[in-house]
Amino acid sequence: MTIQTTAAAARPYVPGRARADVARKALLYALIVAVSLLFFVPFIWTLATSFKTIPDSVNVRLIPHPWTTSAWHAIWSQYDFKLYIKNSLFLAVVITCANIVIAGLGGYAFARLKFPGREVLFLLVLGTLMVPDQLRFIPVFVMLTNWHLIGNFTGYILINLVTATNLFFMRQYFLTIPKDFEEAAKLDGAGYFKTFWRVMLPLALPAISALVILQFQGTWNDFVWPLILFGQGNTAHYTVQLGLASLHFTYSTLWPEICAGSIIAILPILAIFLAFQRYFVSGVVSAGVKG
Amino acid sequence: MRKRMGVLLGAVCALVLLVASAQAGTKRSHVTTITLSGWSSGADEDNLLQQVVNTFNNTHPSIHVNYAIINGDYGTAMTARFAAHNPPDVFYVDSSVAGSWVHQGVLQPLNSFITSTHYNTKKFFPNLLGAFASGKQIYGFPKDWSPLAMEINKGMLGQAGGKVPRTWAQLQQVAQTMASKNVVSGGKPICLSADWARMLAFVYQNKGSLSNLTSPAAINAVNFYVGLLNKGLAATPDKLGSGWCGEALGKQKAAIIFEGNWLLPFMKSTYPSVQYGIFPMIKNKTGGNLAFTVSYSMAKDSQNKPAAWTLLSWLTGPVGQKLWVSKGLALPSRSDVKAIGGRGAFLSAAPFAHGWGFGNPNFANAYTVMGNDLNAVIAGSKSVASMMSDVQAALKGG
Amino acid sequence: MSGVNETVGRPVRSSMQGAKLRETLWGYGFAGLPIAVFGLFFVYPLGYAIYISFLHWGILGRMPGASGTYNYAKVVHDPVFHTALKNVFEYTIGVVPLEMALGMSLALLINQKIRGRNFFRSAFYFPSIASSVAITTIALYILNSDGLFNRIIGSNTPWFTTASTVTWAIVGLNTWTTSGTIMLYYLAGLQAISDDVYEAAALDNTGAWRTFRKITFPLLKPAHFFVLVVFGVGALKIFDQNFLVSNGGGGPNYASYSPVLYIYRQAFSNYDFGVAAAAGVVYFVVIFVLTLVGRLTVGRPEAA
Repeated sequence: MTIQTTAAAARPYVPGRARADVARKALLYALIVAVSLLFFVPFIWTLATSFKTIPDSVNVRLIPHPWTTSAWHAIWSQYDFKLYIKNSLFLAVVITCANIVIAGLGGYAFARLKFPGREVLFLLVLGTLMVPDQLRFIPVFVMLTNWHLIGNFTGYILINLVTATNLFFMRQYFLTIPKDFEEAAKLDGAGYFKTFWRVMLPLALPAISALVILQFQGTWNDFVWPLILFGQGNTAHYTVQLGLASLHFTYSTLWPEICAGSIIAILPILAIFLAFQRYFVSGVVSAGVKG
Repeated sequence: MRKRMGVLLGAVCALVLLVASAQAGTKRSHVTTITLSGWSSGADEDNLLQQVVNTFNNTHPSIHVNYAIINGDYGTAMTARFAAHNPPDVFYVDSSVAGSWVHQGVLQPLNSFITSTHYNTKKFFPNLLGAFASGKQIYGFPKDWSPLAMEINKGMLGQAGGKVPRTWAQLQQVAQTMASKNVVSGGKPICLSADWARMLAFVYQNKGSLSNLTSPAAINAVNFYVGLLNKGLAATPDKLGSGWCGEALGKQKAAIIFEGNWLLPFMKSTYPSVQYGIFPMIKNKTGGNLAFTVSYSMAKDSQNKPAAWTLLSWLTGPVGQKLWVSKGLALPSRSDVKAIGGRGAFLSAAPFAHGWGFGNPNFANAYTVMGNDLNAVIAGSKSVASMMSDVQAALKGG
Repeated sequence: MSGVNETVGRPVRSSMQGAKLRETLWGYGFAGLPIAVFGLFFVYPLGYAIYISFLHWGILGRMPGASGTYNYAKVVHDPVFHTALKNVFEYTIGVVPLEMALGMSLALLINQKIRGRNFFRSAFYFPSIASSVAITTIALYILNSDGLFNRIIGSNTPWFTTASTVTWAIVGLNTWTTSGTIMLYYLAGLQAISDDVYEAAALDNTGAWRTFRKITFPLLKPAHFFVLVVFGVGALKIFDQNFLVSNGGGGPNYASYSPVLYIYRQAFSNYDFGVAAAAGVVYFVVIFVLTLVGRLTVGRPEAA
């Protein structure tokens, strides 16, 4: 399915059009490549810097001179990035899964189920987007301290079980799914949960993919909340971001180590992205309608 | 009946056993665990402090100290901990926030501990100790300090005649020579931060003071400072492609800078090939400098105050402090601990050093006003007089 | 549930009531957990903020003094707060249309069947992957007065420390990083548009641009609403970049001061939690009103 090819198939033959099409395609490719390069440049610089020595890391030159892998060694052995990655992975997986289920259920309810106060409650959900973190910092921290949920992952997981963004997004997506599916499920005698789990959730695969990528990344990159809730001193609980911060000192920065750590930090997100982006394939919904 | 009595007896025995073992447990594990927290100043500093803490732990078997570094926004993390009544037992307090932390009531007053343990506070430099006192009550002991000094690129100074400037006039002369000979190619002779934490020293050098910022002495000092920038003899670090003047010195975009002791480990690790000399801060009508210091203080909500006091008094005592300054990463705040060699330029500033932010609870807010207004003055969109009155008002709490 | 038993052998009206009751209960059941989380960790803190906004409040709690609206008076009359509002409006009006347009364009671009589609999709998404701290640190380096960017365009302006350019430097930076995320949301939205629609358009001989304008764009309305609200509010809440480029000071000359930075400074620098709370409440109202306006302008697409 593309706008171009379908339309092209329907157009009458005009001489010279083939060349114009090729030209247009070339331009398109050039544009895409240029944009990609632009988007890639900082990554290349980060990669290069991770192989430099500290004095050399302040140079703009792309090629390390001398070339060294000491930063990578340090990251792996001196700073326990193995453990940090494990911790970050754990949190990201748990929170992402929780979000899929809870935001999915909630989004479905707000999109399809009728219950009194639905609109007001949805306004409340939107309202939470508008409360800046800095404002709710202290009350949430004091609350969690009183419940003894800090110093370990519990408190952090609890406050991140579901986000308004994810719920909002799932709701919007469910709104676009034709009602035929639910009606068919109803005729088959399915209850609300079964309809959700067996019919709606699979149909929302593109939305879930987006949610997985973005929530995984959001949790992976989160710094301030982990710092405050469990990141003070006990390096056994450190996430990758906290580990990276420990390389940042007031008057001296270990640039090669930070670059190496940043690349390690980026790789899992990249992996998740590559794994889930294939679900951005059309035809999932339309196939359902036809089939 | 006998069976019930037997059960009851058994239960009582079990209970007694339980209580006894619990008590025995507490008697056995008589080690008090306390937490020491600070920010991260650098890999060397962190390792050194860990060594110092290890020494303490080895020599004080009944106390175990956990050294917990807070990587990230120290102030925010500590504020949250204070608010939740769950702070570290002993921690750093920067002199610029000491006033407000005392005012907020999160620091433990130490006078009672001082008198009950006959702790000798006379060896601390009075103006440093005064930064952490409110009235007669002491809230912390300075762990070290640093003033500003003048650092000059040796090669570039040589090209400009080799004479080290000692006064404002000489500074301007040397800079002029450097500029005309284009000694600092791609940069400027002097790097001046748009920061009151540097400029205020010049105000003191002109016999101005923080309590009367609108005096001609203070205003003229600022005019001199900004004047160097306007004349093209100096530039702020961002114009030299740097985050701070130390980086500018390292990148050789500036020949003369004014920074403290923290410059040394930075240059050694990041720009080891740059040859520079450390010289005393210049003077004008008088010597003038700023004292930056940090204390160890105890939390009001600490659950282990006696143990915390032992740690605190040891760390800032002669033994602990000697260990801490042994690598030359900071200057001692006590007169009975000697600094390592080569720090003469910093030590000579001691008589002229005025505390940075000492004791004023409005200082943090005033500092924001200072920074923003000074930027405006340098950009030419604000008058010096206007900035001075703004800052004066902010310091009073307006 | 009683409704199930009642429907058997009972008049139609009751069975409909029973079904309605079941739907209501399931609705509350599904929505209950998220609402509970939001209630605890958003509504309660907001209520707490409203409470302390009328008091003198320090780190350890209530400070001496009677209650009153003095905190609100201070915020509303503070020229720094006014500057912060002006800055953030300028920023939002600049960044939101830009990143929406770029994100949507990237989504449309990458939705075509072209070779290496997966690779390019990853490339477009790349800037969004790193954390805001990492990206801002790199940006500070690249946009230095003698950094890569200036070397290419031949300038020596320190973009992040010049009052007139800092907002636009952050606009550029954030457009670059969030367009990938917005692209993802639009891509998901595009998948929900069935092929039949495009086939019909092609049969009618509709050109690519017209198809987009009359069909694709309107059908993306739920996505538009979502992106506008989430990223519009996100822009109004900007903090990280402003904090990092100004070292927390909001400079140069208050040019990077944002309302959330104002709240942060009042709370964590001045320890005046009452003022911080008042500022937070005031700003919350501002954002709420703006969102309502946004909802009315984009219309109510979810007449489901």
